[in-house]
Amino acid sequence: MTLLRRVGLALFAPVLAVVVALLISTAVMAALRVDPFQVFAVMLDLGDTPSQQVTAIVVVLNRAIPLFLAGLAVAVAFRMGLFNIGVEGQYRLATIMAAVAGAAVALPGPLHVLLIVVVAMAVGAFWAGIVAVLKVTRGVSEVISSIMLNFVALGLASFLLTGPFRGSPEGASIISTAEIPESGLLGGLNGLFDAIGLANPPRQLYGFLPIAVLVGVALAVLLGRTRFGFDLKATGLSPSAASASGVDARAMVVKAMLLSGAVAGLIGLPDLLGQTGAYTTDFTSGLGFLGIAVALLGRNKPVGIALGALLFAFLDRALVPLQIQQFPASVVTIIQGTIVLAVVVANEIARRLTRRSAERGGAEPSSAPEPGTGAVGPPGDASAEGRPSTRREVQA
Amino acid sequence: MAAGGAPDGAPYAIELRGITKRFPGVVANKDIELRVARGEVHAIVGENGAGKSTLMKTLYGMHRPDEGHVLLDGREVHFKSPADAIAAGIGMVHQHFMLADNFTVLENVVLGSEPTSGGRLDLAEARRRIRDISDRYHLDLDPDALVENLGVGARQRVEIAKVLYRGATTLILDEPTAVLVPQEVDELFGNLAELTREGLTVIFISHKLDEVRRVADSITVIRRGTTVGTADPRTTTVRELAEMMVGAELPSPETRTSTVRETPALRLSGVTVPTLTGRPAVDDVSLTVREGEVVGIAGVEGNGQAELVDAIMGLRPLTAGTVLLGEDDITAWGTRQRRESGLGFIPEDRHRQGMLLDAPLWENRILGHQTRPPAVRGPFIDRRGARADTARIMREYDVRAPGPDVLAVALSGGNQQKLIVGREMSAKPRLLVAAHPTRGVDVGAQAAIWELLKDARAEGMGILLVSADLDELIGLSDTLQVMLRGRLVATLDPKELTPEELGGYMTGAHTAAGAA
Repeated sequence: MTLLRRVGLALFAPVLAVVVALLISTAVMAALRVDPFQVFAVMLDLGDTPSQQVTAIVVVLNRAIPLFLAGLAVAVAFRMGLFNIGVEGQYRLATIMAAVAGAAVALPGPLHVLLIVVVAMAVGAFWAGIVAVLKVTRGVSEVISSIMLNFVALGLASFLLTGPFRGSPEGASIISTAEIPESGLLGGLNGLFDAIGLANPPRQLYGFLPIAVLVGVALAVLLGRTRFGFDLKATGLSPSAASASGVDARAMVVKAMLLSGAVAGLIGLPDLLGQTGAYTTDFTSGLGFLGIAVALLGRNKPVGIALGALLFAFLDRALVPLQIQQFPASVVTIIQGTIVLAVVVANEIARRLTRRSAERGGAEPSSAPEPGTGAVGPPGDASAEGRPSTRREVQA
Repeated sequence: MAAGGAPDGAPYAIELRGITKRFPGVVANKDIELRVARGEVHAIVGENGAGKSTLMKTLYGMHRPDEGHVLLDGREVHFKSPADAIAAGIGMVHQHFMLADNFTVLENVVLGSEPTSGGRLDLAEARRRIRDISDRYHLDLDPDALVENLGVGARQRVEIAKVLYRGATTLILDEPTAVLVPQEVDELFGNLAELTREGLTVIFISHKLDEVRRVADSITVIRRGTTVGTADPRTTTVRELAEMMVGAELPSPETRTSTVRETPALRLSGVTVPTLTGRPAVDDVSLTVREGEVVGIAGVEGNGQAELVDAIMGLRPLTAGTVLLGEDDITAWGTRQRRESGLGFIPEDRHRQGMLLDAPLWENRILGHQTRPPAVRGPFIDRRGARADTARIMREYDVRAPGPDVLAVALSGGNQQKLIVGREMSAKPRLLVAAHPTRGVDVGAQAAIWELLKDARAEGMGILLVSADLDELIGLSDTLQVMLRGRLVATLDPKELTPEELGGYMTGAHTAAGAA
């Protein structure tokens, strides 16, 4: 398969999904008597002056960073067929604990930030670890337990915020934890714009960006180039083949969930360290669920997830301008929702196409499926459990 | 369209003319000619992958041919789905039984075409009809027996009854003897004789030539997707059939002189594997495989062989017993540690345990060898090393594929199996667990795999061979152990054994523990 073809196949599904989603959204908007083309024009209009345009880009990037991390967190578990729906709860709990820890100590700059990052990752990993332990010891589906733990985490975060960790004065409209001192925050990266000769906008580009890129690269190497990544992928493709090859499936579940949770713990930090400085009642929510969509869109590959995060961030940016122009903001949600649905369908179509083209690629005179490849039904005894074999239909 | 006619003037029950079926990139069937007279057993023989299944799918309405005509009793038909084929009196008995274990025979037979009266299930009428069918064709079925209590042969007869219940006059049997021991094969052939005596037509798909010669009234041979001729079983020898089928003589699994050494490679003592339901799946099994020795495990499938293999590989916990690899007690080791210390594994179901179908060949080269060179360097995957070594395996073990980057799913069963064998052999294991190593592969790949196993044995590898192919077991093994209901019930010397005798031990008909 040529490189061009492979790239084409990889891009095929997401591009098709986005196009289909835009068509469906257009139809929905038309039904709502909203002019879709005006909406798209507003979305694409980044502003008139260079300063406005750069600001728009900063807004998109700042939104994309947590989405990227959320997508990575989901993807790590996805790679081995685990659905970590609990990213939402993991990052909310991690963020409040990190904010409290950051506000409680005074350390020199980099160390202070490092402490906050470590606390966030540890709390995220701990919360995801509960899911893993339940799965390997009691066989609880990770989907169910991680969803349930979301509610526990959100409730716990609210309790901690309004109770023991309350840092804002009595009667304030927004309750928050204590402020993290200056040494624990990450300054903006706007010097970058001066360096490349763009207008320096009033809004700061999050200093967390290089950390997120680093995490992305590290995960790309870990998943794609190491034994651990291979075991993870093998378990995802075929748990039975992986355990026959010597992968300890239970340990793998624990490791994958801990890693996923640790990455999830980072999601709230770009906002926390770059803007708010404290966990508040109106801290950014929903990133965990959007992360699932972003991971799907990026097909669990770090580069794809980055592109998916940018697309979602770009769509989110249009929320405010659309409302200013008297358009319903829900069109953005509709577009994002249809993209997710379309991606699921398109991924499946792409998977079948790849598989079929692979099956045809085989230099065999016949495509007749060989009988007997599956277990020849041993209809007799207890051994029949879990036997039948070929996971998917063989295209005849 | 003129009606085709048998020599006596009656139209053929089934006639296929010039059937061609293409899938993008390949021609699965080309100019197939098939004439089946009413009331005969007509065998279709050919290697795996020759196009038998594609042809039967055409006949059963699972897809439509690109060219050619299908005639039933001289009239052309166009099936859009299996439902059309069933309505026209064609029934298919699949190789893999499709029965619900917790249903009775009666419920299984009516499943999908339940008789109703006034909207309610009318089992009385169905029971009467099943008794009728059972008596007429001597199927010996009790409508109210639970299927889970039936043996393999009886299950097959339930499948046949299912097809007859739907009014089939032509039965297609896809590799019906693959799961049967010789005695059950005889019973099946008796049933088929009853069917044809009543005027039904049987199409019998197989690649076991001696069986085909015994049961068939006429034979059509398929090679590389097309019919290469017909043969009369009374005047054609197995050798001639084999030559028609593959263009060469069938290979033989026969081993050469004994290479058994003194050093044990694997020792099991008192190995017991539990099941959820009481009686252990593997019950107090002790055996020794020495270096350079092939120990064959014979047994009807489902008698604990799969569990025994899992136990040796560390995939199932033991309740009792020890497993020694060389001098190491590996009873408490994990699968990875076992593999690292010299245990090779050819699993019985390569799609389930041996391969990642959606991964490229070089990743499949790594599978099971994640901790060893040349595929891995430290904690990192050595992509270049893995690719290069995959290319070497493809060359040395004759794996036919475009390159190391194609997905495993693109390969035929035989080539997938050769890749697995090459991968396991490349690690130079002390002991190889080979479960059904030639299942579902064509004759060429089968011969190649037999040769590889013989060579490895000569070099001192110990091999534990689990197989359902009695010729393979007798031909390759130095010692044979018979497994029945989880226990080793007989130790036999393969040199003085016929497949029929072995079949007797496997079903428990013979009980004497002959000293080997």
